[in-house]
Amino acid sequence: MQVFLQTLIGGLSLGAIYALVAMGFSLVYRTMGLVNFAHADVLMIGAYAASTFYMSTKLPFALAMVLAIAVTGLIGLFIERVLRPLENKDFTLMLIGTIGFGMVLQAVAVLIWGATGRAVRTPVGGAPLEFFGLRVRTYDLVVLAIAAVAVFLLVAFLQRTKMGAAMQAVAMDHEAATAVGIHVGRSNAIAFAIGAGLAALAGGLVGPLLYVNPTMGGTIGIKGFAAAMLGGCGNIPGAIAGGFAIGVLDSFAAGHFQGYSELVVFLVFTVAIMIRPTGLFGETTVSRA
Amino acid sequence: MNALLRNRYAPKLGTLAAFAVIAWLLPYTVGGYAIHVVDIALVFALLAIGMGLAMGIAGQINLAQIAFFGVSAYATAILTTHNGLGFWPAAALALVASALIGLLVGIPALRMQSHYLGIVTLGLALGFINWTTNAEIAGGAEGISAIPVPPMFGVDLSSEYLYYYLEVVVFALALAFGLFVVRTGLGRRMMAMRDDPLAAGAVGAEIPLLRMTAFMLSSVFGGLAGVLYAGLIRYIAPDTFNIANMFLLLAMVVIGGRQSLVGCVVGAVGLTLIREKLVDHPTYAQLGFGIVVVLMVVFAPTGLAGVPARLKAVLDRRLGRTAERSVLRPFEPYEAAANVGEDAAAGEARPMLEIDGIAKQFRGLKALKDVSLTVERGEIRGIVGPNGSGKTTLFNVVSGFYRPSGGRVLVDGRVVSGSRPYRLSRLGLARTFQNLRLFGELSVRDNLLVALDRSRTYAIWRYALWPVGIWRQERRLHRRADDLLRRFGLTEFAAAAPGALPYGIQRRIEIARAMAGSPRLLLLDEPAAGLNGEEVRQLSEIVRSIRDSGVTVVLIEHNMGLVMSLCERVTVLAGGSVIAEGTPAEVVADHAVIEAYLGDSAMADMPLPNSTEVTS
Repeated sequence: MQVFLQTLIGGLSLGAIYALVAMGFSLVYRTMGLVNFAHADVLMIGAYAASTFYMSTKLPFALAMVLAIAVTGLIGLFIERVLRPLENKDFTLMLIGTIGFGMVLQAVAVLIWGATGRAVRTPVGGAPLEFFGLRVRTYDLVVLAIAAVAVFLLVAFLQRTKMGAAMQAVAMDHEAATAVGIHVGRSNAIAFAIGAGLAALAGGLVGPLLYVNPTMGGTIGIKGFAAAMLGGCGNIPGAIAGGFAIGVLDSFAAGHFQGYSELVVFLVFTVAIMIRPTGLFGETTVSRA
Repeated sequence: MNALLRNRYAPKLGTLAAFAVIAWLLPYTVGGYAIHVVDIALVFALLAIGMGLAMGIAGQINLAQIAFFGVSAYATAILTTHNGLGFWPAAALALVASALIGLLVGIPALRMQSHYLGIVTLGLALGFINWTTNAEIAGGAEGISAIPVPPMFGVDLSSEYLYYYLEVVVFALALAFGLFVVRTGLGRRMMAMRDDPLAAGAVGAEIPLLRMTAFMLSSVFGGLAGVLYAGLIRYIAPDTFNIANMFLLLAMVVIGGRQSLVGCVVGAVGLTLIREKLVDHPTYAQLGFGIVVVLMVVFAPTGLAGVPARLKAVLDRRLGRTAERSVLRPFEPYEAAANVGEDAAAGEARPMLEIDGIAKQFRGLKALKDVSLTVERGEIRGIVGPNGSGKTTLFNVVSGFYRPSGGRVLVDGRVVSGSRPYRLSRLGLARTFQNLRLFGELSVRDNLLVALDRSRTYAIWRYALWPVGIWRQERRLHRRADDLLRRFGLTEFAAAAPGALPYGIQRRIEIARAMAGSPRLLLLDEPAAGLNGEEVRQLSEIVRSIRDSGVTVVLIEHNMGLVMSLCERVTVLAGGSVIAEGTPAEVVADHAVIEAYLGDSAMADMPLPNSTEVTS
């Protein structure tokens, strides 16, 4: 039981990261039907930017994070502008186009920061806390708290602000949204920027947990997409549930299958998604073929 | 017709000979390292062909191609070094292994498509890399070295020059086979599935089997590449099969043109050569490839392969050249079948279509409630009703797109409700669609050929074992396509892309495509929508002739003039129920019908669903 609970807790912080990745992915997907494969590499850029501001420029961790989010937000705006002609049209082409952007971002990262990775110092040190014999790293708690705040802010934005409501309207029917005078292009751009910002947040948070390198986006990104699909593509609560599901699955697979954990995670995911192709909470999408 | 077939392939003979000579002489002109690069390029070209077949031709996003490549390379390496097998037996087993893995990876394609499939296949590819870096048998991160040189009747294949010739032969055969697949029935079906899976199912393409076939073809090409790679480098490590190389392969296919196998080859060879030129600056190479991929996707989605056609189109426009105006020729009526109506009159025949208490519910919306109707053999039945009354839903249930929530459908006395569309197509049911579902990227002729081809998908074993049979069947099909084109007056549009043609012609093509399957029961969903008066007159002539040839016709139509003049009996739907049935004259006089159409005070009490019509 002790081991079980410890494994469960071990999966939560990465689960929160996957949930952030999945949320960003889903937000973009539901708003403009764009499957953003570059999301993972935006995350990597975010991780590098945050770690650079934090370690080289010696800014406080929180400020470094905000700057990283701003930088990637701009990258997001750029990607959206270039791929705008394909929005709501051809899934395959968009998917390939964003993969192309991912290649570009990786190359840019290598040019700026070099091909070797870097380790990031934990912003909050100290011994792990103990609850009933379970050990919890302080930084894990920070990650969970920040993720929770991000979820809260996103939901509040979508439900309480005019811009957020407009975005929801675009997600439901972009033609009708245009007809009632919503600037769909701007709404999409903002959704994309927020999505990129969420990726940067995830990247900045994951930096101290893992090693920051140009190809780090690959695994985290694909697991984040898997989380989004597991929860139901485009569905925000689903993204959170899917993120934790993948994080915990990851943690248990690592405990039981050691080196083969990734293989096991993706096999389990494939079987799960075949049983429920629209995910646990169903798909919220703009594509009604 | 034979001339036409010959014209399609003959001018290439000269080009082919030129390529053969160049391929023969190439090793004499390049150095040792260059030939190594060429050998690698050919391996990538094989991989790209496989990828093009799955992604470009069949429309199945396959981001596991690099894993298929890896499976066979690893299988060859393990079987030779670990189990002591000879190179060629190991290679044969490796091909089988990658084909099996291809089928396994293809299974998710039965349940999901597009980006879902992309993420699942990419995840499985990551899983494979994870296995290679951990498994002891795969040598972990160090990989496997000392793979034996493939023996070849005393020819020393450790020389990369001689190995080149082996590769060229395998590559040429593989490309020829790939092109043969693309240009014959299997390829046409896969392209039809890519363009519109629903319509492809309705003309008899077995979608699940086709998707699996696409993945298997893709994995076999990947497997061939893996075997050649293992024999060439004789050392393998997980790095070769990583995601970055998967995306490089994707870049090759996209830049070359995913819908053309030759384009894929050009992309693969081109990018391999460029990558070698930039071997000291791999990051800039990656940056460049990434940028080109983005630009290609936005500005030239058909890749380099599509550039000549686009240039030609631009030139033609600049020079004010327009194609000779093609003319729609009149329809040539079918020969009337002598016994139509007599069977029915004799009372021997079962009704052609029986719909028995069909209900269909979408969550809370009851689109159809207990609909029953019977259509006799050789009848033309009209189905009319206000928008949202469930007409198209009824068609979708009958043609197998929707599973009914209750009730059953019988075609010619056989219970068919719940069958897949392709099965119904084989039982003699054909349909057209309200919103036109032609295969957009196939020519008009190919649209008809897809439907004319009644061979089962499992008959593709002939591609591997008896290609002559395929060739003969192709010639038969092309002859029949010519007849059909002539009958529907479409001969001059045979090579055109359907999307560019006027609406009325597209409608006629769809009817021709439906008739290509020689159906016994034809469902027409608003065939007159968008047609002008003269076209409606022609349509009514066509439908009558189709009926006279022995086909039972059911049509949904809003054009009451057409319904009145064409149909023997009319069924009126409103709010998902049958409210009247009878001769046209009877139903127009029916009180309930007048109410449903024109509405009066009683209308307010009728529970009409206010949703828009559910289209397939």
